[in-house]
Amino acid sequence: MTSTDSTVERGARAIDVSDAHYVYPTGHVVALGGVDLHVEHGEILGIIGQNGSGKTTLTKLFNGLLKPTSGTVVVNGVDTSGHTVQQMAAHVGYVFQNPNHQLFARSVEAELEFGPRNIGVPEEEIKERVADAIEFFGLADVAEEHPYRVSFPIRKLVGIASIVTMRPSILIFDEPSTGQDHHTTKIINDLMRRLREQGTTVVCVSHDMPLLADVVERVVVMKDTMIIADASPREVFADKALMARTNLQAPQSTEIALKTVVPRGGPIALTPHELADDISARLAGKATAPQQTVR
Amino acid sequence: MSMQAALPVALIPGNSFIHKVNPITKIVWVIGYIVLAFSTQNIYILYGMALFAFLLAPLAGVTKPLLKGALILVPIGSSLLALQIIAPAVEQPWTPVASLGGFTIYGDGLYYGLVLLGRIVASLLIALVMVMTTHPSDLFTSLAKLKMPYTLNFMLAMTLQLIPVFQREVGIIMSAQKSRGMKGSGFAAVLPSFVPVFVGAIERVQQLSISLESRGFGSDGMKTSFRQVRSRPSDWIIGIVGAAIFIGLSIISIMKGLWSLAHVIVFPGTFVLWLFIIAAATFAGVIIVTLIYAFKK
Repeated sequence: MTSTDSTVERGARAIDVSDAHYVYPTGHVVALGGVDLHVEHGEILGIIGQNGSGKTTLTKLFNGLLKPTSGTVVVNGVDTSGHTVQQMAAHVGYVFQNPNHQLFARSVEAELEFGPRNIGVPEEEIKERVADAIEFFGLADVAEEHPYRVSFPIRKLVGIASIVTMRPSILIFDEPSTGQDHHTTKIINDLMRRLREQGTTVVCVSHDMPLLADVVERVVVMKDTMIIADASPREVFADKALMARTNLQAPQSTEIALKTVVPRGGPIALTPHELADDISARLAGKATAPQQTVR
Repeated sequence: MSMQAALPVALIPGNSFIHKVNPITKIVWVIGYIVLAFSTQNIYILYGMALFAFLLAPLAGVTKPLLKGALILVPIGSSLLALQIIAPAVEQPWTPVASLGGFTIYGDGLYYGLVLLGRIVASLLIALVMVMTTHPSDLFTSLAKLKMPYTLNFMLAMTLQLIPVFQREVGIIMSAQKSRGMKGSGFAAVLPSFVPVFVGAIERVQQLSISLESRGFGSDGMKTSFRQVRSRPSDWIIGIVGAAIFIGLSIISIMKGLWSLAHVIVFPGTFVLWLFIIAAATFAGVIIVTLIYAFKK
């Protein structure tokens, strides 16, 4: 897969949300109560929070599916309020939680061609993008199958691949790992790493803390329609008071590290690998902390 | 994005007097409306019924969704009037009142067109008011009291409950496809939007049937209901008064040979001609706009 193709205004941030409010048309439900969020190009951002905290509403502002009732949302230098979802689709890809909501074509291959064709990608390039995606997601065996004839985890991959072929500069995942088996989750994990290498901005809404701990560089915590924390995953997951206040649970590796190695001067582990490295080092009599990424 | 607003054929929550009326009373009124509408050809009665049903809407706080639901009457009404004016669905002789090109315009055609339209308008408006002000579970409980077969009753209640679910589903699917750059309307949008809707509907129904069977649906014995519907004296009064009016007017109407006023009300030729032009133009406009949207990419 190659890097993203959508036009990005020079000097503009990937996402600039300023004092965004959103009230549903009935007028009774305030879904966002004044949110400020700034995301640079190439950042991998996780958004966590309880159901109803405003996570999905916030991400729907990014591609113009919802327009803020007040405040501004500027994506790649483009104010979403003056643009349709179709126009924003070249900038922002949105992977919905349920793949059944988007699959309709006669074959997996045709499904992957749909998005790029809508945004005017030349036919030759569509073929190349589809071939790339089929290889990366391991869909060669089902490329000619009807999307509804493949298993749910594979269908999920088809749904993600159908957005990836559009090669937007910003990609939003809504609960990408819900109901997925280990194989599919690993592919999603690998995809996020690949997107990071390519400089794609990724926003991932998820309750899957181990997934976020493994791949994101920054975690935004939402509660009651507001952002209440915005920090590195290590800082967020180690903040017991924050986790308790938001009814969230840090990854098990972090919780174990906080109870065992951290009181002894060890590092805050985010993943089982980091925790295992630290335990191995200690068992081998080395007091040195394991190598950690900056996250 | 409010699909509720796009397809307003579901309960609009509220606390109005009409919301509180017993569902059986409402059913009596709907059945009474339909029986009377098809027992008379008196346009004063028909349009009086339609007006009364419409006036219930502001009392129930459902005027806007009712008007949206009643939009379907525009193509139906315009085509019905235009066709009846040039080809009345009654026995000849017809009374020509004007001509336009090769068409002869008949005054009694307009009258019978108005009768047919009045029946549809009155029945549709009262039915919409009932659906928009009645919780499906209350309807279920009430119909059960009327000894309606349990399975049939359940099917009706389930259909009404699934409407808002499917409306929400359509909204999500449209959002998902727009996010992939699909045009929001037009012929090109039909396949990407409706395949997921239909597949989702079939899957949902399959899951629902398994879920119902696994919880003993179809077993013998008395069924109870979680929601209880009370019958207040006012419900009885409204029901009895309504039934008396509808039965009385129906009997009078039938005794008077459907109480047609076709020979009493004489429409001026120019009026009928202009009404025909307006109705035909409206119907043609609806067709043209639909075709433009259908083939617009």
